Amino acid sequence: MLWLCIALPQLPLEALRSEDTDAPLVVAACEGSARWIVCGNPAAHSARLKPDMNYTVALALCPTVQKLERSAAAETAALERLAAWAYQFSSTVIPGEVPLDFRRARSGALWLEIGGSLKLFGGFRDFIAALERELGLLHYSYQLGIGPTLEGAALLARSGIRVVMPSPAALQLRIRNLPIALLALEPEIAGALHTAGVRTIGLLLELPRDAVIKRFGVQLGNFLDRLVGTAADPRPVFRLPARYAARFDFEFEVKSTEALLFPLRRMLHEFAGFLRARDTGVQRFTITFAHRGAAGTPMAIGLSLADRDANRFLTLVREQLEHLELPAPTIGLGLAADQFAMPAALQADLTHGSLQQNEELAHTIDRLAARLGAQHVHGLRQVADHRPEASWTAAPLQAARATPQFPERPLWLLQEPKPLQLSVVPQIVSGPERIEGGWWDSGDVQRNYYVMHLSNGSSLWVYQDLGERGGWYLHGFWS
Amino acid sequence: MNRAETLQHLAWLCRNGRTAVAPVIEASGWTELDAVLPGGGWQVGTIVELMPTAVGIGELQLLMPALARITSAGRHVTLVAPPYIPFAPALSQHGVRLERLLVIQAQRAEDILWATEQSLRCRSFGAVLAWPATVRDREIRRLQLAAEAGGSTGFLYRSVDAAREASPAALRLKLQRIANVLQIDVVKCRGGRRGVSVQVAAPCSGCA
Repeated sequence: MLWLCIALPQLPLEALRSEDTDAPLVVAACEGSARWIVCGNPAAHSARLKPDMNYTVALALCPTVQKLERSAAAETAALERLAAWAYQFSSTVIPGEVPLDFRRARSGALWLEIGGSLKLFGGFRDFIAALERELGLLHYSYQLGIGPTLEGAALLARSGIRVVMPSPAALQLRIRNLPIALLALEPEIAGALHTAGVRTIGLLLELPRDAVIKRFGVQLGNFLDRLVGTAADPRPVFRLPARYAARFDFEFEVKSTEALLFPLRRMLHEFAGFLRARDTGVQRFTITFAHRGAAGTPMAIGLSLADRDANRFLTLVREQLEHLELPAPTIGLGLAADQFAMPAALQADLTHGSLQQNEELAHTIDRLAARLGAQHVHGLRQVADHRPEASWTAAPLQAARATPQFPERPLWLLQEPKPLQLSVVPQIVSGPERIEGGWWDSGDVQRNYYVMHLSNGSSLWVYQDLGERGGWYLHGFWS
Repeated sequence: MNRAETLQHLAWLCRNGRTAVAPVIEASGWTELDAVLPGGGWQVGTIVELMPTAVGIGELQLLMPALARITSAGRHVTLVAPPYIPFAPALSQHGVRLERLLVIQAQRAEDILWATEQSLRCRSFGAVLAWPATVRDREIRRLQLAAEAGGSTGFLYRSVDAAREASPAALRLKLQRIANVLQIDVVKCRGGRRGVSVQVAAPCSGCA
């Protein structure tokens, strides 16, 4: 087994926010009666605000600092989304637990078993390149470590050692001189070790196991066993769900739709990763905008062809978002999909020339429908009904159908027949054509249709109503 | 292709680009009209302005032979913001394959132009017919570029008043019905003669 650990030192902040600001921003957590800084953005670091600092001290140092409350639920949700995303790189993905203790909150991590995947991706270098390319799109701060055990890989990641340690022996040799602090132990144990003068991992590993357990508890002994691989480290493996349902809660209100595009971009890239992991695509998915104390606003995204391209998803979402009126500020996002289909591009024979064009057509129609509304972009179909207004219907573009036969018809039809008002006497060119029908659906018509010419050259399609209404009406143009 | 080759290729394109490629022509289907149009038909990848004097004089019928051929050849046709319902039975009678016809309804001027440009840019569309509320020179040039990129022909229906103004469109035709024929006045024609009038014996619709 070879484990790749993706350590996420900024997860408490990045689970709540997907883009950085220039203003100092920290995530804080309560413990006892005090509030402590869990982590902060680069601007907060420049303002000398450090993790584990008392928030009151931080306020004194930098009065303009903005604060978000730590949310373990948001971190869990982010790890779950990431696990679904990571499944495209490995079939064994282990999402780490979110530590409740705020001092260890920066040790959030995710593991992938990569021994089996390296060959598939064309070797180690290509695998890491592909992983980092995709991971970069999600805007998380991360560190990678590769080792023979879960804890070993995590330790290497936190230490910033990007050298593969294939065996426990190599791992032990490499981590000997690392400080104890990198182990992310419980604060009490770390404190006790510090007092005892054990400063490096090498020193700790040299201590007799029984003495370690007696002095620092069985927990530390077990941890060291798992670290160097002398004990197994069974953990629940992530299972790819059949449906996709991801959440992203901000814990603050977002008023502008423009600002929603940052978290949406991350979610759509994660979603695309999930689709690649399942080796499928999607034709419909729903984005839900959560509001405080009100029902969420759903936004359905439909595609003509199954797809899994995050950038195309984003284009459609952006177009639709421009026309969406949100009733209240957004405090979270949901993305759900339950029906999947193989993307057409992968399904069909790639040598088939028209395929690319079909796909381009589908993408163009999707873009048009996203901006103008699906009901405003449609094809036409004939209906076997003699009444002109019932002899056509708007329909999606589709394969040819048998066409009913009618006498010659004008190219323009009016939405509603218009009472005919003419200042000059028209010239009747042909007619009448009697059209009756519709008594079965209460759209009963009895009409005599004529073709009329006006002096300006227009040819009109008019009818005389023979029913109760009576009168002459304009119904179309022979354009 | 390495850098030097790319540069050479670009230089070649600059020298030969526009003149080397013969324009693709889509016959209009009207012999009299084809005779005066350069190349003998609608030039693919350009914008054509059609300015009828009234509704219902055969302004749409003029394009029917081309639309029938384009849709039968497997390409699509879009109607953007048509003023009335494009009547499916009639289109079908003119040989237009309905399954390759897309109707886009848009109200706002910028949406109409945007949808026209998007359709022109897509290589699946052979022709795009649009009824823009207003259109400026700059926008026509933009549509012209889109038509070139997508290899489709854009037909803009404009009011007859626009015939008096200048426009960057490659071909501008004023349409009026005189007795039983459709008279087409060539207001502007890139690479051809302007000021020509041609009468098309479009069957006086509905009186067959």
